[in-house]
Amino acid sequence: MRGLLRKKWLIILIGALILIAAVVFGAFPGSPLNKTLKPVGGIAAPIQRVVKSAGNTLSDFWAAITDGIAIRNENEELRAEIAELQYQLTQSEEALIRYEELQDAFHIRDTFSNYDIYGASVLSREADEWFSVIRIALGNTDGIMLEAGDSYAVVDVRMNLIGRVIEIDTNESKILPLTHEGFVVSGKVNAVNGAGVTITGDASLKNDGLCLVTGIDPDVILEEGTEIVTSGDGGLFPQGIPIGTIESVDYSDPLNITATLRPYTDIADLNDVFVMVPFSVIEEQTELRESGNLTPTYESEVSEESGS
Amino acid sequence: MNRGPLIRKILVYAVYVLLIASFQVTFPKVISFGGQVADLMLVFTVLAGYLFGFKDGAVIGIAMGILRDYYASPPITGIDGKPVVTCAIGLLVLFLAGTVGASFFTVKMNRNVLFAFAAVAFLTLCYKIAGHLAFFLWHRLALGTTYNLTFGDIILHSILPQLLLNLVAAVPLILLLKFAGPYKKGINTALIDEEKGGEQLWLTI
Repeated sequence: MRGLLRKKWLIILIGALILIAAVVFGAFPGSPLNKTLKPVGGIAAPIQRVVKSAGNTLSDFWAAITDGIAIRNENEELRAEIAELQYQLTQSEEALIRYEELQDAFHIRDTFSNYDIYGASVLSREADEWFSVIRIALGNTDGIMLEAGDSYAVVDVRMNLIGRVIEIDTNESKILPLTHEGFVVSGKVNAVNGAGVTITGDASLKNDGLCLVTGIDPDVILEEGTEIVTSGDGGLFPQGIPIGTIESVDYSDPLNITATLRPYTDIADLNDVFVMVPFSVIEEQTELRESGNLTPTYESEVSEESGS
Repeated sequence: MNRGPLIRKILVYAVYVLLIASFQVTFPKVISFGGQVADLMLVFTVLAGYLFGFKDGAVIGIAMGILRDYYASPPITGIDGKPVVTCAIGLLVLFLAGTVGASFFTVKMNRNVLFAFAAVAFLTLCYKIAGHLAFFLWHRLALGTTYNLTFGDIILHSILPQLLLNLVAAVPLILLLKFAGPYKKGINTALIDEEKGGEQLWLTI
């Protein structure tokens, strides 16, 4: 036995076989193997936070040195802008009062009024082109759960779509980014009765930060710069979340017109994101929790069709 | 091994593994080029294996692989079309990188710092080719869809930038391992004794 263990090729072979078995077994939905890495977070998560904090401090310090003159100029410009904005604010306050009166009168609802927004900081980003899950600091302890079949839209501070939640743990969640080839969302041209399209991640476009647009009606003329928003079909994502703009359109095959879309958000630049959870889901989960029927951890099992 | 050097080795490796893994997933933009991110975890694992032997390569590969899976596990599209977060692909990749890296060109010559670059290049190529091949086969055979990357895309936008970045990243990591690494003077003396004693030379190049 000791002799066998001295043979490196045998160790590599056995190790590789065990790990391949773990990969296959772990790919089954609800596999307990996926939970085995949780204890690693006890050490890895705090250290990563320290690294992040140190990096940000260093970056801020460097910026403080290099940006001094630029900041002074910007400050003067901003003072002038503040004066202008104060005037506009006075005008807007009056307009707001009139809008609220009209809103009550015509029963207008805000676009995302049915959703609660949870803010979270980005913990880690992709390690390379394949290891691309994004971790954010939002978990079960924040009162957010994910039931089988559900998924939540993740947006940036300007409400632009970034991706969707695919797994929620105790203290953190995993996000499938918009550019990943497993991501599918129904969209439409941002206009009244705008044409519907399907936006997916694509292996060949991912490195350029682009998405693929398919399902384009041959009668529809898509132009460069056209804004695409979520259509709300499928019910998981609300209608009207900005996704990005059309970068190019390929009409060479009339039966399969495709386009590329440049998302508004560059994930590499993000520090904070927002998860949109429908109030109906929160109420349902609260009721289940109170009745003791809700366990703290769920994994999403969302089909491509329902990813919209 | 005496207790002191062993504790030093464990501590140094633990610090480097945690810091390097954290840095790669926290500030990928700082170390990216052409849509690719310098794979510090892979490079460090290969170098630890190549410079300090099989056991170090295997252990560092496992530790780094666990962190890679924890921080940024790859979501793959399952047979049913649902994206699934996997749990051991990073572990598999880096275990193999560490162990194969430990056996790279070590038969006919000593573990040479210059050849460490060749080991990094060779294992980066292996990783990228195997990754693309696995995704191509998965899309073609299991999902019945097409893998949209052309051969040119793979070479120009995936393999070449990654190769370049990893070779550049190897420079500071080699210096780190040689001059502030887990062994005094950057040499694993146990490895020298072992190789003089006729280590199993299974990979003959």
